[in-house]
Amino acid sequence: MLAQQVYIADAAIATAVYLSMALGKPLLIEGPAGVGKTEIAKALANALGTKLIRLQCYEGLDATTALYEWNYPKQLLHLKLEESSSASEAEKEAVIFGEAFLLKRPLLQAITERERAPVLLIDEIDRSDEEFEAFLLEVLSDFQVTIPEIGTIKATHKPHVVLTSNRSRDLSDALRRRCLYHWIDYPSLDKEIEIVRAKVPAIDDVLSQRLTEVIQSTRTMGLSKIPGVAETLDWANALVALRATELNDEVISETTGCFLKDETDVATFKEQFAAD
Amino acid sequence: MIEIKDLVLFCRALREHGLSVTPAEVVVATTVLQVIDTSDRDEVFLSLRSVLTTSVDDFPTFEELFDKFWSASPRKLVEREPVVSTRRRNVAPPRGLAFFLENWSPSQVTDSKPINVPGADSAESRAHKDFSEFSHKELEEISRLARRIVRRIARQPSRRWQPTRRGHRVNLRRSLRLSLKTGGELIDLAYKRRRPKRTKLVVICDVSGSMDMYSRLLLQFVYGLQNSFAKVESFVFATALSRITGELKNKTYQRALDRLSSSVEGWSGGTRIGASLATFNDQWLRRIDKRTVVIVLSDGWDTGESEQLAAALSLLKARAGRLIWLNPLLGSSTYQPLTRGMQAALPFINVFAPAHDLASLRALEPHLVL
Repeated sequence: MLAQQVYIADAAIATAVYLSMALGKPLLIEGPAGVGKTEIAKALANALGTKLIRLQCYEGLDATTALYEWNYPKQLLHLKLEESSSASEAEKEAVIFGEAFLLKRPLLQAITERERAPVLLIDEIDRSDEEFEAFLLEVLSDFQVTIPEIGTIKATHKPHVVLTSNRSRDLSDALRRRCLYHWIDYPSLDKEIEIVRAKVPAIDDVLSQRLTEVIQSTRTMGLSKIPGVAETLDWANALVALRATELNDEVISETTGCFLKDETDVATFKEQFAAD
Repeated sequence: MIEIKDLVLFCRALREHGLSVTPAEVVVATTVLQVIDTSDRDEVFLSLRSVLTTSVDDFPTFEELFDKFWSASPRKLVEREPVVSTRRRNVAPPRGLAFFLENWSPSQVTDSKPINVPGADSAESRAHKDFSEFSHKELEEISRLARRIVRRIARQPSRRWQPTRRGHRVNLRRSLRLSLKTGGELIDLAYKRRRPKRTKLVVICDVSGSMDMYSRLLLQFVYGLQNSFAKVESFVFATALSRITGELKNKTYQRALDRLSSSVEGWSGGTRIGASLATFNDQWLRRIDKRTVVIVLSDGWDTGESEQLAAALSLLKARAGRLIWLNPLLGSSTYQPLTRGMQAALPFINVFAPAHDLASLRALEPHLVL
């Protein structure tokens, strides 16, 4: 299923995704940056032919940006226009706190999706703070939301939830326990070559092999920002754009910026690469 | 086929090995076995792993137990020796603290002569007077300073909002609700402001022999922090770690000291920073997060393994918001952090600062704010 979406899945990922769908439990995916955690959700949404709703987490993320917010300007305008009407206060209230004035944020969107269960991607959950995590637990456990002015909204279709984390902070045990767990590591050489060839079809076989080998060797150099698969693909695309046919020193030094994002890393790389 | 009984035993074995497997997970695992091909070993392995582990750190344990489970009768697994959970391991209480604390009483310190220590250059102003020369009265100042630092930390705004009576930002949601009373006319405005940041503080203080002349004053500082800020955890160590948060929560410093001496047992001449921090990590690391500032007060004279210290600090640094090392010896212009312990520690420290006099503690203020 995932293979059709140009996602090179292994048995472990496939099992985890299958179970998460079969059991209706959220799937927590952890792993280093740039190994394709987010891609899983995208591939899943494509495969299921459903919508991908993404919630990018950050510190201070709260219910008004994650769940819902009232459309205040619209409410105010409406009240102004209705000023002369004879509607009672209760009637006015019922109107401006109706669904037409509700701004649905990702979580509410996911719950109220009518057609079919969407894929809800909660990206980089480790970047949010504990308050949000606790709030999320509540939503994820019963997929219903209570808005004081409207009442309780229950999910029409339980969304497929995928959470990703870079392990920059430890998540609470409660959240972990509620999810199925999967860890993605950097892919093996063969798998990564396969990924490069699938995602950058224009690249030639020798070059893809060579560049993946270089990337794999950089991962053991003890750099501060280890290049992920995303960087491998960036580099492959860059090489294709430059019409490079082989990987010589000149080409490499022109394009190190594609996969090394730190000044000292570049120095370390050059030193060690020359030594090889 | 896998029988439910075996699965339960397997889960129990995992739990005994420190994995967080509750009956709820057992239920899920049972359900899982119904939707997969149980004759395929790999499929069972991957499926159970995604249900029964919560972190990649659990993978090796899981793999090992799964191999045993699959090859042998699972009953054998549980009849192993009772496994002691590593997190709650009780360290045998060392002795000697009571003696140490008795020698600390304020009266003796008041008339103590300046001791020649590699701590500070002799300066006139009180701010530069070495801690080793402080009198009882001047200790008050340290407490005041601690309170000021704490107030400053507590005032930092976070990214979250809270409703207030007065403020700079209008709380639209509330204001609109209020406006309904007046027929949709916005008359009374509601406000919101940034909620203060919830910084936590963890102080780990070295009280070994080499720190003698400083630890009393530093503990006074810790006492001040502890009593003006709810989210402070304090620990002391020499050869072993003890938590003193409860002991320090007392009306007067003297009483806090009395309680310390009666309740904490531990102390001897040597320092084992690495081992003490490793104990700390075992028991308390879960409570450390990116909002926590960890302060280690020590001179870095370690009789233990420096590798252990480095490993413990790297774990700590990965979880904490900031790791600060205060070294009283750094106050001396001739001091170089060349001891093995200090060398091992330096790569992991965010702030390395002196803590030998009032001025140095004052300089600490901006670093404590996350």
